[in-house]
Amino acid sequence: MRLRAGRPPIHERMLPVACRLVPAAKRLDWTREWQAEFWQLRHRDGRSSVSLREALSLSYGLMADAAWLRLDWTRISAQGSAAGCLTVLSAYCLLCAGVELVLAGSLHSFARTVASHFTGGFVFVAIPGIFAAIATYPLRPLKCGDKDPRSARILSDRTRWSLFLSAKIGLTLALGFLFSLVASGPLRMAIGGKADWLELLMWAVFVTAGLRWALLNQEQRCQKCLRMLSQPTRLGPPSRNFLDWSGTELACAEGHGLLHVAEMQGSWCWYDKWVELDPTFQGLFTA
Amino acid sequence: MSPGRLSHSVAMLLKALSLGYQFGFEIMEVTGLPSGTVYPALRRLERDGLVTSHWEAEEEAFEEQRPARRYYVLTRTGKEAESTATKRYPLLSRLLPEKLVKTL
Repeated sequence: MRLRAGRPPIHERMLPVACRLVPAAKRLDWTREWQAEFWQLRHRDGRSSVSLREALSLSYGLMADAAWLRLDWTRISAQGSAAGCLTVLSAYCLLCAGVELVLAGSLHSFARTVASHFTGGFVFVAIPGIFAAIATYPLRPLKCGDKDPRSARILSDRTRWSLFLSAKIGLTLALGFLFSLVASGPLRMAIGGKADWLELLMWAVFVTAGLRWALLNQEQRCQKCLRMLSQPTRLGPPSRNFLDWSGTELACAEGHGLLHVAEMQGSWCWYDKWVELDPTFQGLFTA
Repeated sequence: MSPGRLSHSVAMLLKALSLGYQFGFEIMEVTGLPSGTVYPALRRLERDGLVTSHWEAEEEAFEEQRPARRYYVLTRTGKEAESTATKRYPLLSRLLPEKLVKTL
């Protein structure tokens, strides 16, 4: 079956639809490439018409290509982002909750187990753990407290920073709690009430390690876009700190700023030093 | 993408590129692979550094009265992967003919 001449074939009509899936930065090149391919198809061996099967295959190809580019772009932009971090933590929490639900047998039994373990033990480990972690690991003071007037974001950088940190700590604690429940479940069946001690120990380890990770992870993020800093560069002569500076410098991939991590912390550089870059620097970082 | 993990269709694609076929339609024609396989594979190969792409010069395309094409070329890593793939799938060399004439 061949398509009627005069009306654009299906695959050519699909092009603007598939084009919307392609990330904006690549859209123009992508459309140009496919248009060149369609031209080739129309002018091959003097044949101008395309069979329905070919048109459908090309339509699928268009969509698959556009979808692949979108997925790859999403994967790249989620790497190191705040949303990506929270999504991964939430997914692990759901996985642990799902396993515990299966082990508990029913939703009612699951809710009862979670409530009793949470109020009966976890809270008593988590609350002192939070205070201890914050007291022993003071966060670097935020530099970018004011909202950028050019930014379209509703929340200020400071609010976003605090909300992300709170959500990350909450999810990390929830993950530690749920994972301990899942891990101690089979032990409880084997050794009974003695498993409670092991559970307490696991909570203490997970709360301490989890909070430490959450705070350390926060330190290694850009204060503006909350992405993980990258491109660590060694600066200065090592171990020569008199009238000189040595350490590692990390940069935000979007060019928002640099983080100086001193090799040896002194009274003048207790925290890692965040240097916010002027928007004119962004051209150096983004392709 | 490690050479050991190359699928048959990716191996065909690398072979076609090594034989001088340079753009999507040409590769589809010679390999018989559908566009839904060829294009995402080309993007993946480009992301993994096995293939690089460039636009044809506008003047060249204008002389032939057609739109400019996007050409794909094997990188050094791509050539190594292609030779590994050829060793793994020896029939590929017989399956795909060498490009003799320029596609208009």
